[in-house]
Amino acid sequence: MQIDCRNLECPQPVLETKKALESLPEDAVLEVLVNSVASRENVMRFGKNSGCEVRESVQGDATLITLVKGYGCDIVPSAPSGFLNKTLFIKDDKVGEGELGGMLMVGFLKTVLEQKALPSRIICVNKGVLLTTAPEGSDVIAVLKALADKGVEIYSCGVCLEFYKVQDALKVGVIGNAYSTIEMLLNAQDVISL
Amino acid sequence: MILNNQAKLTKYVKAAGCAAKLGPEDLTNTLSGLYAPHPNVLVGSEGSEDASVYALNETQALVQTVDFITPVVDDPFVYGQIAAANSLSDVFAMGAEVLSALNLVGFDGCHHPRALLREILEGGRDKVLECGGVVTGGHTIETPEMYYGLSVTGMVHPKRFWRNNTPRVGDVLLLTKPLGMGILSTAIKADLLSDAEACEAAQIMAQLNVHAMRALRPLAVSACTDVTGFGLLGHGLEMAADKVTLCIAQGAVPVLKSAKTYADMGIIPAGSYANKSHVERFLTCKDDVDITLFDAQTSGGLLVALPEKEVRQSIAVLQDLGYVHTCIIGEVLAREATPLRVV
Repeated sequence: MQIDCRNLECPQPVLETKKALESLPEDAVLEVLVNSVASRENVMRFGKNSGCEVRESVQGDATLITLVKGYGCDIVPSAPSGFLNKTLFIKDDKVGEGELGGMLMVGFLKTVLEQKALPSRIICVNKGVLLTTAPEGSDVIAVLKALADKGVEIYSCGVCLEFYKVQDALKVGVIGNAYSTIEMLLNAQDVISL
Repeated sequence: MILNNQAKLTKYVKAAGCAAKLGPEDLTNTLSGLYAPHPNVLVGSEGSEDASVYALNETQALVQTVDFITPVVDDPFVYGQIAAANSLSDVFAMGAEVLSALNLVGFDGCHHPRALLREILEGGRDKVLECGGVVTGGHTIETPEMYYGLSVTGMVHPKRFWRNNTPRVGDVLLLTKPLGMGILSTAIKADLLSDAEACEAAQIMAQLNVHAMRALRPLAVSACTDVTGFGLLGHGLEMAADKVTLCIAQGAVPVLKSAKTYADMGIIPAGSYANKSHVERFLTCKDDVDITLFDAQTSGGLLVALPEKEVRQSIAVLQDLGYVHTCIIGEVLAREATPLRVV
C-alpha cells in the first residue's frame, strides 16, 4: 500500500499514516510519500515509535518512507550452547504440601541436572530463597551447587532473604533485585514457574 | 477551565499559534539594515529583542510590541485569553508594566459566526485587565485564516528594563513554564487531545507572565526573554548572543508529559523543525537534543538569568504564584566554541 502525503500540512501526514497502518495486517508494508522535512521526520518518528521497521529513500524532490508493520521475526536473545533460554521461577521451597513437597523439589532439581540442555537461570523468590540458604551439606544445596557449577545462574530475591532473615546464609548463587528479576523474566523465551 | 470545542477554531488554519511563525532565518535576512538608529530608541529591531523601548524623558520610556497568532485551541474565549497573554508577554519580558492595548483581528467570517468574535475579544480583555491595562480600540479585517493579538504599550524606567541578550557569566537560568505547547496545539488541531490534556495546555498558555515578572523585578536579573515561536533553544541563542554560552541541562527542562507522548507520535509542527535547522549549528551536544527543546511555544514562560543565591527563594515564590513548573534549567558560562551547549 502506498499513500501520497506530499503537500499536506502537519499533522495530516502522521494521521494518514496512522490510519493506513491500522487498516493493514501485521507484517504488511506501507509506503508513505512526503516532501517536507517536518513530514519526513514526523512520519519516521511515528513509525519507529509504533514498532515498525522504517527505511527512507529519496525519490526526486520527495522522500519515500517504507514502514514494515510489526516485527518480521522475533529476535530472541540466544542462550549459550547447552542451555535453553528458559528460566525456572521458584516461589516456594516445596512443590506442593508437606514433607513430600520438599522431597519433590529436590527430586525435580536433580532431574533438571540430568538434562542435556539446562535452563539458563533459576530465580528464587519468597520461600524459594529457603532453598539457596539451606544448611551446608543438604541435598538441595548439593544439587544447586552442581547446577551452578554447570553454568546455571542462580538468583535469590534480596527482599525475601531479608524477610526470612537468612541473608547471611546464602550458600549458592547471587542476590537479585526486583528490577533484574523482571528483566530476566521478560527477556526469557520461556519461564517455568514452580 | 472547561473548553468549548464546538467552535473548532483550529480546524480552519494551516498551522496553530506560534508554530505558524516565519522562521528566524527568514526574518533576519528580511529585516537586515532596514531601520536606521534613532536617539530616543533604546531598543529597536536590530537586537531581536522582545519589544521596543522608546525614551520619553529621563524617567519614562515606552515599551511597545505587537503580536498575533492563529488559533491554538478551539474555544474562542480561551483563544482570546491565550493570544492576549502571548502579546502582553513581550512587555513583561522587558520587565515593564502594561498601560494599554489595541486589538488586531483577522476574522474568518466564512467559517465562524460574528458572536464568536465577541467571545475572542472578551477573552483578550480579560487578560489585559488582569495585568492592570486597558483595551483602547483595535482593527478588524476579514481574512481566510483567523488571527488575533494585541498591539501593546507599556512603561518602564529607561535605565531599568531587562534586555534579552545580556546574561552574566555565573548566573543560572530559570524557566517559568513547561515546554510542549507547539506540539500540543498541533495535537489539538488533529483532535487527538483529551479534554483534560487540552485544558492543562490551555491553562498554561493563558497564564500571564506578569506575576512572575513582578516577583523577579526586585532581583538582580541580568537577562530575560519569553520563550515563544523560536523555541527554548532559539530564544536561548538570542540570549547568548555572541558573548556567552548558555549550558542547558536537557533532563532538567520541564516538558508536559502529554507533549512527550505526542512528540513520540510525530505530531510536531513544521515550525519546530525550522527552529531546529536554524539553531543546530550553534549547538554542542554529545547526545541527540530532544525535539521539544526546539518546539515553537505559544505564550511560553520567561527565561531568566539571575544569580544563583537569588534563585532558590524565587523558585518557591514563583511556584506559589501558580508557575508550578518553574525550575532551574542551566547556567551562563564564559563563551565556548558554540553559544549553546546542551548536556
